[in-house]
Amino acid sequence: MIKEIYAYREMIFSMVQKDLRGRYKGSFLGFLWTFINPLLQLLVYNLVFSIILRSGVDKYYLFLFVALIPWIFFSSAITGGSVSVIAQKDLVKKIYFPNEVIPISYVTSCFVNMLLGFVVVIGVVIYSGVHISPLALLCLPVVMIVEYFLALGIAMITSAVTVYFRDLEHILTIIAMAWMYITPVVYDIEICPTEYRWIMHINPMTSVIIAFRDILYYGRVPEMMTLLEAVVLGVVFLLIGCLVFRKLKRRFAEEL
Amino acid sequence: MDKDVVISVENISKKFRVYIDKGSQLKERMLFKERNRYEDRPVLKDISFSVRKGEAIGLVGHNGCGKSTTLKLLTRIMYPDSGKITMKGRVVALIELGAGFHPDMSGRENIYFNAAIFGLSRKEIDDKVEDIIAFSELEEFIDNPVRTYSSGMYTRLAFSVAISIDADILLIDEILAVGDAGFQAKCFNRLKQIKAQGTTIVIVSHSLGQIEEICDRSYWIHEGLIKSEGKPVDVHEQYLDYIADYRQEVAAKEVQRQESKRIAAEKKAEEAEAEAALNSEENDQKESTASSEQAQDNSGEEIEPTAEELVSARKGDGTVIVKKVLMYNSNNVAQTIFKTDDKIRVDIDIEVKSDKEQAIGVAIGFLRLDGVLCYSTNTLIDGYTVDRSKGKKMISFEVDKLSFLPGGYATDVAIVNEDGSICDYLSNALSFEMICKHHDSGVFRLNHSWRSSSEE
Repeated sequence: MIKEIYAYREMIFSMVQKDLRGRYKGSFLGFLWTFINPLLQLLVYNLVFSIILRSGVDKYYLFLFVALIPWIFFSSAITGGSVSVIAQKDLVKKIYFPNEVIPISYVTSCFVNMLLGFVVVIGVVIYSGVHISPLALLCLPVVMIVEYFLALGIAMITSAVTVYFRDLEHILTIIAMAWMYITPVVYDIEICPTEYRWIMHINPMTSVIIAFRDILYYGRVPEMMTLLEAVVLGVVFLLIGCLVFRKLKRRFAEEL
Repeated sequence: MDKDVVISVENISKKFRVYIDKGSQLKERMLFKERNRYEDRPVLKDISFSVRKGEAIGLVGHNGCGKSTTLKLLTRIMYPDSGKITMKGRVVALIELGAGFHPDMSGRENIYFNAAIFGLSRKEIDDKVEDIIAFSELEEFIDNPVRTYSSGMYTRLAFSVAISIDADILLIDEILAVGDAGFQAKCFNRLKQIKAQGTTIVIVSHSLGQIEEICDRSYWIHEGLIKSEGKPVDVHEQYLDYIADYRQEVAAKEVQRQESKRIAAEKKAEEAEAEAALNSEENDQKESTASSEQAQDNSGEEIEPTAEELVSARKGDGTVIVKKVLMYNSNNVAQTIFKTDDKIRVDIDIEVKSDKEQAIGVAIGFLRLDGVLCYSTNTLIDGYTVDRSKGKKMISFEVDKLSFLPGGYATDVAIVNEDGSICDYLSNALSFEMICKHHDSGVFRLNHSWRSSSEE
């Protein structure tokens, strides 16, 4: 399967390109939205959590931002990804190609968007004056790839299931919102009561977000346990995603 | 498996789910459990065949027989419920041409995207793009967005992309409906070339001539099973025989339907007449004669013209009239579809209304739908005497081999006096259709043979 998808790399590339180009097509600020959107979100959360609900975290804007950008990637990948196959139903019904290409392209284009967002993140990190050890910085791509696997695995499941069950699209927007609050994005995991901490740990995004924050906020190499947990979960979800997708794609052409 | 075999299909079957009333929303699924009921409609029951490298095969069959489904299973857009399909090499399907086209992108960009859908890398596409553009003959327009293309240009571009990919197996559904005649010929030649290079080809088509020209074998799929396989010409002969029988059946049903409709209409007319008569009687009793006459006139208009009235609208003096014309096949069944070289009989019912000294002749003529008179004769020419005594009679016209080539035909029937004046002339008394499994053209088939000799 991997071999076949590799053969279709040009298709993935074209679809990502088309998606990125089409995303802000016709809007006045165009591509700038890639940067403006996360900055505005940052502004809102920052207002809420450092002025109204004071969190007491030092440099809260940075604390939040290094987690928010990866979170936005994850959440848009799984919610938007859920309708990606349906959106391409003309292709799926008429032409053969490994259908995995669709969620892969979608998640990849979200991922590229996150990388662009990281240009802003790095800017904010430099502005804040946090010192990051070079070794920690080396861990950053690893964490990103792990998150990519995780998002892809889940997007594969949601995109395939949505073909048979359209409500999932709407259910997912609620799930994504709730999921954000059981992931330490806007707060530190330490403030979560210990007896509920297990919920955090079965959540695969927790270790990813903690790792991002370790690197970019605390400037330190993430703990081995956190990294390991993230890698294992990422791989497991990707495998489950592939299996589910392979099982469900057989009837796509008939169901769409 | 033989190593030369590149496509092997073993006992595949496929059912489609036909939802009685499908609900894909949660609410509908929960509330209306019965709505999730579906019927399994079997499309393919048990199909097996194998194709060796470099062979071309054709799949034929009537609409809905499962041939296109077979092709879809080969492309892997769908998967069989049971059975196994093994294919070796790169498969390219020319099924939905241009399905991946994006209207706002230019022709060139679409070539890249479309070729990418077939699994080509950028380098491979770079190498081919000029060939593709040249083949499509769209050089002038290639950088315009494809939404500005005509539908012919659109399919030409799509076909050019698909046919330029080095496939090991090429699957084609109704190919040559592409562009104008010149471009079609070009595509067809390209296809032959591709076959000569060793590409395996599977074609689904209604154009049996094309399959015969390019394919080594044909499979006739009927109701989800392979009914016949072998040399295209032989398989197609059986298939066309079946189609002819089927069409005749349909035509017979149609005749029946028309007949029952006519009877119903007549009955209605009779009732209306009876009612009108009743009304007028009542009117007679109540009102003045003037108004009752009017009522009668009105009722007369509503009644459909009777056979007699139709006759009066026809040419001729009406001393002899044609009542009914029917055409029969060799089994004595009235039909409107015949195969070329069928034995037929036309029965003409006539009624002689008044005696005259003159002899009469019954004339029959066959016209092709474009108005060409194909054949016409009458009893006077043939020296056959028709009895002219008063009363109803039937004249039969028999042909051992009706050798008209396929198309629609009309039959004119006339009764003439010896001096040439017309008693009755019924134009388009009966229309019928000819069908044929051969591809010769013209109006008639000439009874012929070929011979050759070389000069010493």
